[in-house]
Amino acid sequence: MSKSKLAGLVLGIIGFAVPLFVTFPGLSLAGHFAMSIFLLAAVFWMFETIPIYSTSILVIFFQVILLSSEGFIDYSAMAYTPLPYSNFIATLADPIIILFLGGFVLADASVKYDFDKNMTRLLLRPFGSQTKYIMLGLMLVTAILSAFMSNTATTAMMITVILPIIARMEPGDPARTGIALCIPFAANIGGIATPIGTPPNAVVIAALNNQGLDIAFSSWMMYAAPLAIVMLLFAWQVLLRLYQPATEVIPLKLDGNLKKSRNAIILYVTFGLTVLLWVTEGIHGIRSAIVALIPVAVLTLTSVFEKNDIRKLPWEVLWLIAGGIALGISMKETGLAEWMVGSIAWDTFGYLLLLAIFGAVALIMSNFLSNTVTASLLIPLAISLATSGVIDGPFGMIMIGLVIALSASFAMVLPISTPPNAIAVSTGMVKTKDMITSGLIIGLVGLTLILLLAVIYWPFIV
Amino acid sequence: MEKNIYIMVVEDEPEVLDSIVRDIASFEEFFPIEMADTAEEAREIIRSILDDGKEIGLILCDHVLPGDNGVELLVEMQKNPETAETKKVLITGQAGLQETVRAVNEAELKHYIAKPWEKNELVQIVRDLLTNYVINHADSPLGYMAILDGEKIADFIRRGGSITDH
Repeated sequence: MSKSKLAGLVLGIIGFAVPLFVTFPGLSLAGHFAMSIFLLAAVFWMFETIPIYSTSILVIFFQVILLSSEGFIDYSAMAYTPLPYSNFIATLADPIIILFLGGFVLADASVKYDFDKNMTRLLLRPFGSQTKYIMLGLMLVTAILSAFMSNTATTAMMITVILPIIARMEPGDPARTGIALCIPFAANIGGIATPIGTPPNAVVIAALNNQGLDIAFSSWMMYAAPLAIVMLLFAWQVLLRLYQPATEVIPLKLDGNLKKSRNAIILYVTFGLTVLLWVTEGIHGIRSAIVALIPVAVLTLTSVFEKNDIRKLPWEVLWLIAGGIALGISMKETGLAEWMVGSIAWDTFGYLLLLAIFGAVALIMSNFLSNTVTASLLIPLAISLATSGVIDGPFGMIMIGLVIALSASFAMVLPISTPPNAIAVSTGMVKTKDMITSGLIIGLVGLTLILLLAVIYWPFIV
Repeated sequence: MEKNIYIMVVEDEPEVLDSIVRDIASFEEFFPIEMADTAEEAREIIRSILDDGKEIGLILCDHVLPGDNGVELLVEMQKNPETAETKKVLITGQAGLQETVRAVNEAELKHYIAKPWEKNELVQIVRDLLTNYVINHADSPLGYMAILDGEKIADFIRRGGSITDH
């Protein structure tokens, strides 16, 4: 075990133990247990003492034994009414998890039938062969795909597209770095555009749902997609200026045709229909999680997606999200979140400054930690700011939720910030210092823009 | 990155050994190269690498050696679970049909390189075989993208291998 993991193990256990031995005034017994779980999870997630998804599983496990009505603690004479244990384990089937499951099935089926690859080649053709427009095309396609597929898989797929392009460019051409960087950036940015784009969105949406706030698929896109488009164009310009292409034109060979087998066609139709129903949720009102069952049902009943494919789904990501949702539930139910935010005089900060603080903290944290973990740790605190009246009720809750989710996705300074960044650096085409420079610019402008939207745009459409 | 995957080169003629090692030197930064001039010496080196908890990703082996011959060594490695997955290549001018067939059937020979070889051909073969090896055996194939077949490793990740969003 490495030193940092060992440090995490020790700190995590200490963190878990402190609330068991120290009594914090104003916090209930259940709140103390919830704090133990929170500290353990926070430390383990930060130090990656154990894989982040197993920390999530541990969260649910401890909640069941310490905080549920079927657990080991007798809360009968206390103010806290323990939730049935099924509430904690039900986070694994939360509507947002089902939504992600539907997304995963679509994405993995697309990979299986090379839909992602061939679609990319088709979509790239209209962008011609001028270096700067090729780059724009690459970024747009990456962003669109990563809005519906995992950012990581999209990046990996796009890397297979750009490596041959880069190989055909002059060895000293700065645009090689630009092109290698544009992919992870576009994937990170594209992830914010839809609820299923990236896991932090899920954690935030689930937390809002638990407050009785439904966020329709189409509403999320109204909030976040414009930001994604603007930031994509901005990132394109930043990379073009930092890494001016030495050659105007790159000869492209983009051969790829959509497969036409029965299974592939079933996939295309299902994919199209599902996405159409998702983005029009505002019109027909069918919930996105229900729509998500369409690909799961259709693709499995037609054997387009088979048993082995189901086994290969990224289940650990669903566990990770579920743990984040569960953590929020226990922090809210036990009063821990309220107690934690209650110790700071937030009212002195002002609304915008408050959003700025949460946005900046999310941005900084997620540069070093998993984006989902960042959202999981921050959203319970943010929600209780709203429930305790520091910021304005449901509207404020949505604002601060958006700020956290979106800021977490703008963390792209380091190779460790996101898996797409790690992949780009691993190609050897990008130096970490290049990533820091452009990632910092995009992150800071992104955060500023988010705060701007919170003032001039969201209030009018929420 | 920890260097856990070794390349083993077995060749009894010093000049030829040198020339093989020189041709594949670009891999050494990630895959330490070990040399032996007999099958017996190779066995000892392999043993000590395995005892250190490291693995042999690839062996480039001459056939005609003093003592046990190359095919003998490869077949033996195939039978040992610790080296069964090692990618095995014969570089030789003199292996007869019968021995070559045996190497294919009993040692899952991945490639037969006839002497004299082209440097580019050798580098390409080593790159392909090591790529396949790291995809199936390395904890994180990502770290090898720059030196091996980056496209293939990226495609492996696209198919859900090794890393996902978090």
